[in-house]
This record gives sequence, structure tokens and C-alpha cells, in this order.
Amino acid sequence: MNMRVLAILLAIGVTGLVLFAPRSGARSEPPAAAKPAAAATAAAPKTTPSVPAGGTATATAATGIPARPEQIVFAPLAFEPPDASTFRRTLTDGTVVYLAPSREFPLVNLVVTFKGGASLDPADVPGLASMTARMVREGGTVTMGSAALDESLDFLATDVGVAANETFTAATMNCLKSNFDESLKLFLDMLRTPAFEPQRLETARARVLESLKQRNDDASSILSREWKRLVYGTDHFEASEPTDRTVAAISRDRLAEMHRRIFHPGNMIVSVSGDFDEKEMLGKLEKAFSGWERGGPVADPVAPTAVLQPGLYHVPKEIPQGKVVMGSRAITRDDPDAIPFLLLNEILGAGGFTSRLMQQVRSNEGLAYSVRSSLTPRVFYPGDFRAGFESKNSTVALAAKIVMEQIAKMRNELVTDDELETAKASLIETFPRQFESRPQMLRVFVNDEWTKRPKDYWKTFRDKVRSVTREDLKRVAQKHLDPEKMAILVVGDWENIASGDLEKRASMNDFFGGKVKHLPLRDPLTLEPLPEQAEK
Amino acid sequence: MFKNALRSLLLILWLLPSGLLLSPPALAQQVAVEEFKLDNGMRFLLVPRRDQPNVVSAGWVARVGSVNERPGITGISHFFEHMMFKGTDTIGTRDADRDAKYRAEQKAVRDEINRIVWTKQYERLKRGEIADAWDPANDTQELRVLRGRLDALIRAQQGRGEGGAEAATIVKDEFDQVYTKAGGSGMNAFTSHDLTCYFITVPANKLELWAWMESDRLNNSVFREFYSERDVVHEERRLRTDSTPTGRFQEQFDAMFWESCGYAWPVIGWPSDLNSYTFDQAMDYWNIYYRPGNLFGIVVGDFDPVAAKAFITRYFSRLDPGTKPAPPVVTLEVDQIAEQRMNAEGDVPPAVEVRYHTVPAGHVDSYPLDMLSELLNERTGRLYTGMVEGRAIAGSARTASDTRKFAGLFSFEAETRGDATPEQLEKAWYEELAKLQAEEVPERELRKVKNRVAAGNYRRLENNMSLLIQLAFFEQLLDWQEINEGPKKYEAVTAADIKRVANRYFSPANRSVAVYRRATVENK
Repeated sequence: MNMRVLAILLAIGVTGLVLFAPRSGARSEPPAAAKPAAAATAAAPKTTPSVPAGGTATATAATGIPARPEQIVFAPLAFEPPDASTFRRTLTDGTVVYLAPSREFPLVNLVVTFKGGASLDPADVPGLASMTARMVREGGTVTMGSAALDESLDFLATDVGVAANETFTAATMNCLKSNFDESLKLFLDMLRTPAFEPQRLETARARVLESLKQRNDDASSILSREWKRLVYGTDHFEASEPTDRTVAAISRDRLAEMHRRIFHPGNMIVSVSGDFDEKEMLGKLEKAFSGWERGGPVADPVAPTAVLQPGLYHVPKEIPQGKVVMGSRAITRDDPDAIPFLLLNEILGAGGFTSRLMQQVRSNEGLAYSVRSSLTPRVFYPGDFRAGFESKNSTVALAAKIVMEQIAKMRNELVTDDELETAKASLIETFPRQFESRPQMLRVFVNDEWTKRPKDYWKTFRDKVRSVTREDLKRVAQKHLDPEKMAILVVGDWENIASGDLEKRASMNDFFGGKVKHLPLRDPLTLEPLPEQAEK
Repeated sequence: MFKNALRSLLLILWLLPSGLLLSPPALAQQVAVEEFKLDNGMRFLLVPRRDQPNVVSAGWVARVGSVNERPGITGISHFFEHMMFKGTDTIGTRDADRDAKYRAEQKAVRDEINRIVWTKQYERLKRGEIADAWDPANDTQELRVLRGRLDALIRAQQGRGEGGAEAATIVKDEFDQVYTKAGGSGMNAFTSHDLTCYFITVPANKLELWAWMESDRLNNSVFREFYSERDVVHEERRLRTDSTPTGRFQEQFDAMFWESCGYAWPVIGWPSDLNSYTFDQAMDYWNIYYRPGNLFGIVVGDFDPVAAKAFITRYFSRLDPGTKPAPPVVTLEVDQIAEQRMNAEGDVPPAVEVRYHTVPAGHVDSYPLDMLSELLNERTGRLYTGMVEGRAIAGSARTASDTRKFAGLFSFEAETRGDATPEQLEKAWYEELAKLQAEEVPERELRKVKNRVAAGNYRRLENNMSLLIQLAFFEQLLDWQEINEGPKKYEAVTAADIKRVANRYFSPANRSVAVYRRATVENK
């Protein structure tokens, strides 16, 4: 189930600073933007080494090729972010619709975004919103059986998906323009009057159970699960997961009840991109939604109450490579420190090869293939900051030590001018990609409206980035990144990890005085601790 | 997210799910490609598109993958993919001459280490004195000294050893920094069995920077950090293969399935080979496979093709055509004459995979084989309705037709549901097959699949990078024109064609079966 949901979520919510982070914990993505290129390239970047002595410069001069890339002169590229209000319309019942036509392909892409996802799950049935979304898609409608509905959609070659993430539920329909009317009818039927057919429910239940059984197979899923439990607490929807019992407890009544709460015009924003005429589309939507009863408002997600206990944690798994996450809760999406934090994160570990973690842990020391840091953007409560990597058992401690040192360095020293300039240039120059395609642009608008993002956020984004100073970054690091208050979680073979590397550069005793809390591996079906002897 | 999503695939060997290749646009509009070739032999495909303003995706393909390797250098194509980001005499160093000196000294030491390991350590391994010939923990005194010297040279070159920062000649990851500063995003590369592809998305006004950077690294890559980077590749191997539930099983199954051709070894390479590549072998490889006659570039997005053609010509014409043409791949896969089976136990769900040898990309039978797979897959396909819902024995089931440059395979994979066994799934698969072999597919069912394929043909053209990668595969496997021609061939497939291929390729003697079972505490 998770992979399918993930794929759909990725398809509906991939904008950067969105709240739509897939459940598996996608990383926050810095937006990007084209500052007029003339400014960007006027001066050669300061890190640039001087042109090497010798033939390179003169040899290439003859071919008309500049000796260094900084010498290329680029045409300016002006970009202003699109204004949401240009695309925003309202139906007579008050439903908000964003429309962005394009004639390139004869396709229409329709997305209905509802507020509420796992955030609405009752305490005794985690996963109910997710299962509701799934069963809206799979369970047929009161007028058409599930098999006939699937056949019809498939024959029309119309793709339909319904999925819930932490705080939203989205239904998407992508069809050939020629099949729009027929597809829309089936799609609305599905959203408005789902039947939750018992046999389909049993199949879905069985498939979820099969996926639960696989929860310990891959160490990274253990890492992700235990990290969320530590950071958000098991009583919060960020960390609570279904078990065999809660899956069994899902009934058609509970699905219907959840459906009533989420799927109604008082709780949705519609967006359409693709090949259509605007006026015609508004008329069709008006008709399709008419008579759909509005329900009550959906509450905002509640904040977790758990407090992270700093320390060193370990979960057993026999693999030749330890998997590590370290971090703590950080800030909300709209925190005044959000943009400096974004830049800090770029420099520390989100900026690919240019980031410090990548250079130190991978490039210099060869300790990991992947090493990164990330911020989970959350609107209603602080998300988490985390750094992570995978390294062979003997060098887990050394890599962890280097990551911790780099985090501490962000607090204790100013970043270099050049690092800050590079990070700023990257965010500014890649900014237009936030609005690259029409579906992408509409995702931003819908998300911003649901989460009440300040109206001038995108307009002023690049200026806000430009105004950040090195001192800001140090201040933000001191305020939000404290190694003493962080947890380190290791999944792997502790016996071979604890002692550290051959050259004795580090061992796990270097963290929290070597005091480790061994967490149990959990039964994949019940999530109850497994008896220890199950692991050697 | 888009940026990070790609970054998380950084430098990966990225094996495209074959499904992506199998549904070229049946009714889709033609992709208008402008094609040209430089005097040195390098070809370019330009696809200007205005619908997504401000950005251009650009990349190039080396017509080489693991299929071009041989025992002893398996994984070297993928290792090249890593090396190509390590800079040139201009990018990545503050002193090209001194840097070259470090590299020469490192080479001398490492060649000596290799010689000793291949002789003395391999000998000790054979006698049972040590368990791992390459593990530094088993080093002799002589090796310890050499390894210390190599490490000191690497550290000095990085400015972290003797001589401190002053001694450094490397500018770390400058290649990435230049692009990052210019707004490049999604910089990445992947290696597959048949090709190696390097790509990035840049702001629309920065395409010339791409031409500079890529022609520079093709003109004068120096394989900096040739020795330290293999630690990274080892970690990549541990991450993708050794630490995943099925990584090693899949590797073994591949090695069993492919008997004679170059698809038998993993793209990432065998561990002993990863340690063994020499600088000289790398140079040979470079001189054969990274010459312009063996490369092609692709640009998709918002750009002026006339201007682009002019500067692409100027920049890439500096590449030396070289003297050695790439040798043909000569070893063909032999016919399989008896069923093969593998029984695996691990942290895996009970499952079965059945594989058959089929045909390479472009073969006349590849189109009905792809359509046959489509009939079986998806929500209304025969596998879901038959095994997942109908008999309720599978949690999931899918097929794939994977047609590569020199050979192809067809696979069926399914995981069990409830108390069902892998054997039940295998039997159910043979029953599905028997139906396809006995009866022609009803007209409406075939039409449904064709409709889906046709709509998919539009959908997959929407994204610039996805279009670039499809063109890369088509051009290397067949011809880029296939993106426009393929759809007609799929539309022309008949029910009789599907029945014919179902009878032709799916025989017991032509199949290999992997059965997976969950390891229990008792039998661990």
C-alpha cells in the first residue's frame, strides 16, 4: 500500500515547501528562482580558482571558447512568479476552482484537494483516512459496481487516483480531452456516492496486511518508523501506524463516516490544467457539483505533545551497513527563521555535492554513498530537522561524529561568504521551477490557499533570500540545532558498529557517554516488541 | 522536491522499469526532433518546446553500459559515471600540474597494492589463511605501509594531510558548485546495461554553460580521486545490493538467468572487480567509449535551436575523435535448454518470479510481447482480476517485458496473500499462460489496452526530462524515430500476434524460476 500511496502523493504534492509531504517523510525542498542572469554572472564566483597557468586559456581562446565558465556572458532571464488570483475562480456554491488551460497535449488533469488526512484518524484506527481514500477509488459506487467502473475508466484510458497523506486527501483524474465528460461523470460518482463494496474492502484489507508483514524487511523502513515514534510520539498521527488489529477494525460504517467528513464541497479546492476552454469548464464543474451537500468545517491538525528525549538509540537488524538518523524537532513552515534555516540546511546537507556533509562524509572520507540533511515542513506545529546516512558497520561512528561536528560548526562559526552566496544563488536561480508546469503551479496555489500562506510569500521570496546574512545563519543554528538536544538513531548490527573504525578515530562511546538505549524490533503485524532472542 | 527527488538518485545506476519503455504514443503527436552531427562524429537531438518556459533539460549519452564489460572490469561503466564528476584540468583543481603529480604517485602505489593483493593475498585466501583478500584488516606489513602511503597522498591532495591546506590541489566538487550557482538542478547520471546518461536542468538562458561544462569534461576529464571514490561505490553497493532484502538474490538470479551474454553481471560490478580497476584500464575504456563517435547529446525545453546549434558546434567540436572505434558486442546469449530454479530464504515476503528469454528491442515480436504484458497488468488486467481478486492468492502480481539492446526477457512476479504459497502463484501463472496460448484475446480487451497505451503516449511527453530519457533509450537501443514510429507498431498488433508469441516464448525449458520464502527464526 505504501508504495502506491507514495507514488500518488508524489504525483499530487511535489512542490517544495508544501505541507504535502508524503508519509514516508519527503524532504523539504528549497524553492528556486531566476534572478536576472546579468547580476548572477557579473562577477566570477569567489571560490573560483584562478585560471591554471599554462596552455589552457590561450589554447582555447583560438576556438572562441572561454577559458572558464564564469567568463560566459548570459542573456538576462526575467521571471516574475505567477499571481494565484489570475487563475482563481469561484463557483456559485462558493467552491474555489483554479484553472490553467494549455493546448500542448489533448489531456485534461483535474485535482480535488480536501482538507484532512491521517490528521482525522480516530485514536483506535490509524490509517482510516488512508483506507477511506483507497476505498473511494476501489469500492464501486451506488450506481455502478466496482468492476464495471474500473472497466469503464480503463477503456476510456482515464487515470484516477484517491489518496490521503498526513493532512490532506487528494483525488486526481487525468483523461483524454475527448473523454472528459464521461470521465468526470464517473469520477464524481465515485467521490460523491462510494459504495465501499465488502469484497473490495476485504481485498484491500488483505493487501494492507501483506504490506504490514513486510515492515521489518528493509532496514530503512524500520529507521523511518522508529524515528517518527521518537520525535512525534506514538499517540500522534505523524507516528501512529496501523496494526493487524486496527486493520481488522475498519468497517464500512467507519469508512462512510470518514467519507462524510472529508468529501464534500465545503471542504475542497478544485484545480484543472490541460486542454479546455475556461468558460465551458466552469459550466461543467458547476453542473457536476450541484446538489452535493456541504458538510461542516474540518479542524486543523493538532500538534504532537511528545517531547524528544535526547540520547543514543539502537534497533537491531543484521545488515552489513548501519543506517543512521540524527536530529530533533525544529520550526514551523512560516517561522520567521524559515528562510535562513533553508539556506543553512542547503549549506549543511541539502545542497547535494556542494553541501558540507556530502563533501566531508562522502567525497573526502568515502564513508557513505548518500548523506544529507532535511527539514520536514509542517504548518501547524514544528517539523523535524534530521541528518542521515548509511555506512559500513565499522565506520558508522566515524561518519556520525563528522556529521555532529559539522552541525556544531554551524553553531560555532560563521559560514563563508562564498558558501552563503552559492546557496542563495541556487535558491534564486532555481526559483522558476516552482512554477515550471501548470499542474505544478496549481499545486502551489491550492496548497498556499489551504495553509494560508502569506499572500506576498512568492513575490518577496527572492528578496528575503538575498537579505539573509551569515550572522542570521549562526543565530538560527544556535537557536534550533543543538547536538545535546538531539537523538541519534541507529538501525543495524550493534556488536559490529559500537567499537568503531580500525584506526580508532571514533566509536559509539563518543556519543552521550556511550549510553545507548536498545529499542526492540517490533512485530511487524502488532508493532509489539519482539522477544530479544529473535535477534541472535 | 523535484530537485531533491533527483538528487536522491544521485549518480545512480538507474534501471528503468521496462514498463516505461513499452508504451510509445500510439496516436500521439509526433515529437519534432532536429538532428545534426558534428565533424568529429558526435550527434545531437534538439527538441525545442515552449510550453514550459524558463527551463531546459540537457544531457548526453555514452553508448556504453555493463554489457560492454568483461570479467575483471565489471562495474567500470558505472565507476566512470562517478569519475566524470571529479573534474578536469580546469574544473576541480587549483593547480593542474601539481594535481597531476599527486595522481601519478597515487597510481604507482595503487598498482603495487593491486599486484600484491592479486598475488599474495589471493594466495592466502585460497589457502584459507584469510577470509577476505581486500579487507585492510588482513593486510600484510608491506600492504599496510603502501596503503598508508596512498592514504597520505590522497589526504595531501585534499589539503587534509601533510602540508595542510597549502598542499591541496583539489577544489572539492567544483563541477557541482558551478552548476549550483548558476541554477542548475537535478544534476545526475545513470548507468544501465546498455548506456550511460548524464543530465541536468538549467535556466533557459544557461544552456551555453551546459555546453561548456559537458564539453570540458568530455575533452579532458582526469579521473581525480580515482582510488578514494571506490569506497563510495562500495557503500553504494552495500546500500543497494547487500543491505536490501532482495538485492543479492536478484544478482544471483540474473547471473543464473543469463548464461553467456554480458547481462549476467550486475551493473554495479562484482566486489573484487570494484577493487581491481587500474588507471590504465580506465584510460583504455575512455579512449574507446567516450569518444564523440560513440556519444550523442539531447536538449529538450525552452531554447532557440539556431543559437544552440551554433554554440553546441563550437564547444563540442573540440572533442578529439580518437583512433579506436568501439568494438561490437559479439557474444550472443545461447538458447536455454532446461528449466532453472532458485530457492531463496530471507527477510522477504513469500513470492515467485518466472522469467523467459525473449527478444531484443525492435524485434518484430517485441511489440506483441509488450502488449501481452499490458493485458496482464493494471487494475483490470488478468493478473489482478484473476489472482489478487478472483482466487485471492496474491497480494500483488505483475509482468514486464524487458527488451534490451542485445537480448530480452519477460518476467512474471507475484507475492502471496494470506496462507497461499509461491507454488500456488506459479501454478496460477501457468494457467493464465495456457489461456493466452489457447485462445485469442477478445477484441474489446485488446482495444482497451491499446487505448491505455495511446493515452500514455501523450502523458509521457509532458515532462522535459522524461522525454529526454526516453529519447536516450530509443536512440541507443534502436533509433530516436522509434518514439514516433513505435505507436503505429503497437496499434497494429493483433490478437493472433499475441497468441503466436505466447506459444513461441513461454516454454518450460525456456524458463527460470525464483521462489522466495520468509526465513523463520528456526531456520536462520
